Amino acid sequence: MKNEATYWISLAHLPKWGYGKINSLIVKFFHDEKITIEEFFNLSESVWSSKYQLDSKEISDLQKAKSELPNNAFFAENLFSQGYELIPITSPEYSKTLKQNLKAAHSPALLYVKGNKQILHEKSIAIVGSRAAEGKSLEFTDNIAKLASKDFKVVVSGFAKGVDKQALDSAIKYKGQSIIVLPQGITTFNSGFKTYYKQIVDGDVLVLSTFHPKAVWSAGLAMARNPIIYGLADEIFVAESSEKGGTWSGVIDGLRKGRKIYVRKPELNEKNANILLIQKGAIAVNYNGIENSNAVYSEQSTSTSLLQEPTVSIDNINDRILKVFNGRPLSAKEILDKAGLDWTTKKLTTLLQKMEDVQTVKKGRTNQFILKANQVDQPTLFG
Amino acid sequence: MTTRPEEESKLKQTFGFDSFYDDQWETIDRILKGERVLLIEKTGFGKSLCFQYPATIFKGTTVIFSPLIALMRDQVKKLNSLGIVAKCINSEQTPEENTQIIEDAKSGKVKILYIAPERQENSEWIEATRQMNLSMVVIDEAHCISVWGHDFRPAFRRIINLVKLLPTGLPVLATTATATKKVETDVASQIGGNISVLRGNLLRENFKLYVVKVKSEDEKLVWLGQYLGKLEGTGILYTGTRVDTEIYSKWFEHLKLSTIGYNAGLDTDSRIAIENGLMSNKWKCVISTNALGMGIDKADIRFIIHTQIPQSPIHYYQEIGRAGRDGKPSNIILFYNPEDKKLPEAFIEGGRPSISKYEKVINAIRNELLGERELMRKTNLKQTQIRVIKSDLVEQGIIREVTVGRSKKFEYITNAPALNTKAFEDLRNTKKADLEQMIQYVETSQSRMKFLCDFLGDSTTHNFTNCDNTGLNKITVKPNEDWMQKLQDFREDYFPNLEVEARGSNIVNGVAASYYGVSNVGAALHRSKYETKEDFPDFLLKLCLKAYRKKFGKEKFDFIAYVPPTSSGDLVKNFATKLSQVLNFPITHDLVKTRQTKEQKVFENSYLKSDNVSGAFSFNNPSILAGKSILLVDDIFDSGATIKELGKLFTTFGVIKIAPIVIARTVGGDLV
Repeated sequence: MKNEATYWISLAHLPKWGYGKINSLIVKFFHDEKITIEEFFNLSESVWSSKYQLDSKEISDLQKAKSELPNNAFFAENLFSQGYELIPITSPEYSKTLKQNLKAAHSPALLYVKGNKQILHEKSIAIVGSRAAEGKSLEFTDNIAKLASKDFKVVVSGFAKGVDKQALDSAIKYKGQSIIVLPQGITTFNSGFKTYYKQIVDGDVLVLSTFHPKAVWSAGLAMARNPIIYGLADEIFVAESSEKGGTWSGVIDGLRKGRKIYVRKPELNEKNANILLIQKGAIAVNYNGIENSNAVYSEQSTSTSLLQEPTVSIDNINDRILKVFNGRPLSAKEILDKAGLDWTTKKLTTLLQKMEDVQTVKKGRTNQFILKANQVDQPTLFG
Repeated sequence: MTTRPEEESKLKQTFGFDSFYDDQWETIDRILKGERVLLIEKTGFGKSLCFQYPATIFKGTTVIFSPLIALMRDQVKKLNSLGIVAKCINSEQTPEENTQIIEDAKSGKVKILYIAPERQENSEWIEATRQMNLSMVVIDEAHCISVWGHDFRPAFRRIINLVKLLPTGLPVLATTATATKKVETDVASQIGGNISVLRGNLLRENFKLYVVKVKSEDEKLVWLGQYLGKLEGTGILYTGTRVDTEIYSKWFEHLKLSTIGYNAGLDTDSRIAIENGLMSNKWKCVISTNALGMGIDKADIRFIIHTQIPQSPIHYYQEIGRAGRDGKPSNIILFYNPEDKKLPEAFIEGGRPSISKYEKVINAIRNELLGERELMRKTNLKQTQIRVIKSDLVEQGIIREVTVGRSKKFEYITNAPALNTKAFEDLRNTKKADLEQMIQYVETSQSRMKFLCDFLGDSTTHNFTNCDNTGLNKITVKPNEDWMQKLQDFREDYFPNLEVEARGSNIVNGVAASYYGVSNVGAALHRSKYETKEDFPDFLLKLCLKAYRKKFGKEKFDFIAYVPPTSSGDLVKNFATKLSQVLNFPITHDLVKTRQTKEQKVFENSYLKSDNVSGAFSFNNPSILAGKSILLVDDIFDSGATIKELGKLFTTFGVIKIAPIVIARTVGGDLV
């Protein structure tokens, strides 16, 4: 995949093509014709025209992109050397959540990332809201990030002031994992890479951008980034929205695409558009993110969060446990450490013995555990 | 498609040659078809034509990555004289010159662009490559790609990454004159993309190969003293270390033989001057570490002498390959004293720092984004060690070197693998085996040329008669008393220089009475400092006085000052006092420490040494100093950090000249 990077950069940034058009071309050559992007670029113009029904303007765009391949090779080499990685839409590393949510029409053909790519395959939530948010909205953000982190869900946010920044900081504070979705090209984020160096090194933060790596911040890119935030998340929480701006249009767009969006139910005297969003179809939630139209803030300490429901948690814990195996038998104690679980070994042993994918092996006088054969996860393209 | 006669008629017009050699044509034909080729041919074959010619045919710019600045300069000059627009970008030119060349390349004015692999880290260059019209990429000295080669260079790693990303149809040519089968396979697989390998034969019939077995360093010095002047033509003498380079060139100077010393530590102007002098046969012999000669296009180097056995036959083949490119007889002489293998052994064994040092570096980088200096401060490791560790960790995908703003930093790679120490062992074992083969070259009773060809994987059935095992007379050394006396005289008359001059300081280069480890001086110092605690013996005083006269003649100083001690009491004070009595310059005791410092030898690198002494001294009575000169005395000179610090201090008090003199100078200080 890495050796194809040059081609992907050339294809992904074809001027004025748009995600939909680029993706339909990818589907044709990758899915239908089963050829690589390199082979596609080496086809003759007549094949581009006959088999792929490209018009002369499109062919000339592709020829231009092709002539820039050597230049993009230098560019790509530099990106890799700086630790950036490229994930094309055909890669098993590409976020399935993003693909399912945005479909071919809106999924970016190429992601630029730095950090722990594994995070893209975890359960995830987005917390979004106004740059000017304070008080209750930030407390809500903090609490949702805390609950998510406890539940091993990744917090996706957009690195703006206010709610975005709070979501990120809180996820870090509660030792959770985060995806930062940039409103700019990934090479223009040097100060951020410095600030979050340790978190990135430790695998807790992934920085992601869908724009040309050299693109600088603009309001337009910030708007274009919002759907990516929503797209990367399984659940979306809105802390605070005004009647216009990024959060508002993002939620409206999300609702139009049929997403479930949770909005913090505001108190009576709050001046924001949360109620309006709820009226437009978003779901009201309380301080703990629980869907309950009657919920008020005073109930927070007694309620059991949806995010902590036992069935959901056990599934996540199962996943977490399965991931720690690396081919050799482990003791319950080792599994506890690796999975970072706050359990007794007895409790874990009971669970392990019930798990279908795990088998018990005797090692001296103690029990050890190992994955049953054929449990190795094989990712598929276009899953 | 084009034909050979067509291309040869163009060749005649542009380069003035009538035809290609068959191997050249085979390469060029493939290049013109957009293929990838690894070309292994001996020095003098005409490898460069294989990319220079196609470059003149292609529309855009051909980029040539070459590690050899001298070669770049040389080839650019030649191409320009043929009317082909060739330029090179390198660290010896000013940034403005390089920027101008990059601009020219962007606007399509440059046909052939030579560039050092390190430039791939430069943002201005990377920016420029987004706009250039690239036709071909060439990797010269491609053996530098392989850790199994004799000259692995980490900067080539990025070139390989680049080549992997280049689109199909863009021709790539990699060339080398020295590759074993193992290196060949490694390089070809790294470049990939259906690369074809073309290998010519590597034998050099015009070489006369000799091995001279000796029992001591003295025997080498004496034989060379006797016969260097009698060898035909001009040539190069390779030594094992920079210190040896200095000693040999001083010895020849003493004998009034026309030679000059060269090493990688010289400034650019001096290096260019020596390279030019070599080209014009200005000296009988240039004495150098192996930093000199790669890529120098001089056809008539008539002899190459090694006073130190190289690490492997491939190193040796590479270094002697520079001789006799004109095909005329050339003398190739290797001295060997069984002691000599200790140096390459030490390189191989000590080439890698201990695992705990690796762990130290990994832990530091895991916690923080660090530059090289910061890393040296955090870990108290030598720069050379940090560089070895860094290179290995990058190779293993544990850290990467990134550019943040204008500075380079090391960053830990998320989900990095654990340190693989087995890779080091494999490499070490291979190198040990190669050194063993080099010793075999000395010991063999068969044809030496055949031995080298076999090692390079170049199977030949040729019957050689060009070495001291196959027809030539053996060289033996029998030093007579006369010559031993000359050597003795030289040793008593030779004093190492202390290079400390710096902008903004009135300090001048000084002198040491001896090298620390080379004579009995080091032992005498050590005994006084750590065992007897008695004054330095008088022979050291006599030696110092001799060194003083040699360096400073009859010059007088207003004061003698001495470096106040850290722990060894009054030894230096007493020594300076005696020196002051003999030379009759007044001594001052006003130079003092304002804070306790640690012994400099505790610190492994010059940044920490310099931190240790920075601002640690003061002078009690500065008003007497203005306009005066000072002779500054110390016992041992290592990194020079203390001396330089005192030079700065005295300069601020208005001293117009500070001249250091020490008893011994260490060998191989950090950051030399």
